[in-house]
Amino acid sequence: MSYIASKWSRGLACLTTRGLVLGFLMAWCSTTAVSQNPTEPAKSVSARTTHLLGFESASANAKGTLSIQGDALLFQRDGKPVQQVKIASVHKVFVSEQDKQVGGTAMTLGKVAAPFGGGRVISLFSHKKYDTLTLEYADSNGAVHGAVFQLNKGQAETFKTELVRSAHLHAEDNESAKKSTGVSNEN
Amino acid sequence: MKTRRVLFGLAMAIVAIAVSQPRVSSAQNVWLSSSPNLRWSVQVLKVDPSDVDMDPAFQVAIYENLVDELGKDKVFKQVLRDGDHYAGDVSDLLILKTTVQKYSAGSETKRAVTTVAGATKITVRTQLCSRDGAVVLERTVDGNVRFLGSNLRATHNLARNVAKAIERSSLPAPSSATPLPGGER
Repeated sequence: MSYIASKWSRGLACLTTRGLVLGFLMAWCSTTAVSQNPTEPAKSVSARTTHLLGFESASANAKGTLSIQGDALLFQRDGKPVQQVKIASVHKVFVSEQDKQVGGTAMTLGKVAAPFGGGRVISLFSHKKYDTLTLEYADSNGAVHGAVFQLNKGQAETFKTELVRSAHLHAEDNESAKKSTGVSNEN
Repeated sequence: MKTRRVLFGLAMAIVAIAVSQPRVSSAQNVWLSSSPNLRWSVQVLKVDPSDVDMDPAFQVAIYENLVDELGKDKVFKQVLRDGDHYAGDVSDLLILKTTVQKYSAGSETKRAVTTVAGATKITVRTQLCSRDGAVVLERTVDGNVRFLGSNLRATHNLARNVAKAIERSSLPAPSSATPLPGGER
């Protein structure tokens, strides 16, 4: 009986030690994950986007790919040279939401031409929510530039997170950031 | 004989004046024929939302469109951005301050469905100030989208209206000596 008790107590002690080691390892891993160096290069993030205005010499309403590569934010139209800005030069980044009619000019003309106010009914259903990514950055001369991009819903927040993480952005305080994100906003 | 000499002297003087004058007057003509506002440079400051809850995208869009429109219309000799280090070296610099007074976020869908509702309206107060803070020009300007177009279109309309308002107004002559166009940077 005493043999069984001693075996049992030894097993329990072993388990406790293993648990402690495991717990220590888990705690160490989680601490390391939280305290990652914020200056480390950003993950490569990329998304199809519409450049609304302001980014370097890219034309307004140009469709292209917005991406973060290394220490730069890049925008590239198909077959056109890449426009880029150093992430370190980005001072502020905002995310907001907008609701837009889809279909462009062709759809608008179609809706106008539709008889019996059918166009209005179509308008009720032909809208889509987008994210708006707004950046403020400075050029080499210190001059402030602003850029606005339109992305699919949910994508702008990823960019914001990556930009903030990689550049110590002078992001607005949480409150105003929440406000800008929460504005109802159909832009 | 004496009369001839006098006449000859007069003719020579006229020729000398005629030869020397055109170069000076052509330089002056270039300068005077252009708008008097063109003697000024302007630095566009970022938009101040004051206590209006305005989407940052609109503030940035107003700022960018202002820089664009003022540069496009050749209202000023140079258009500089907020924070530009070069602004310190520019003589005859005006500073454009824009403060949002009213903003109503419209809805493209409401406009498309109802036609009469959902307009995006922005009202701003623009001030052109000298370096010492004296207000040279002050205007209240609107920018709206009532029917077609995205809401951000209101910022473009607003910037165009601001540029027009400045173009129509006559600014005072700069206090410094007027530089010749060749001296522009």
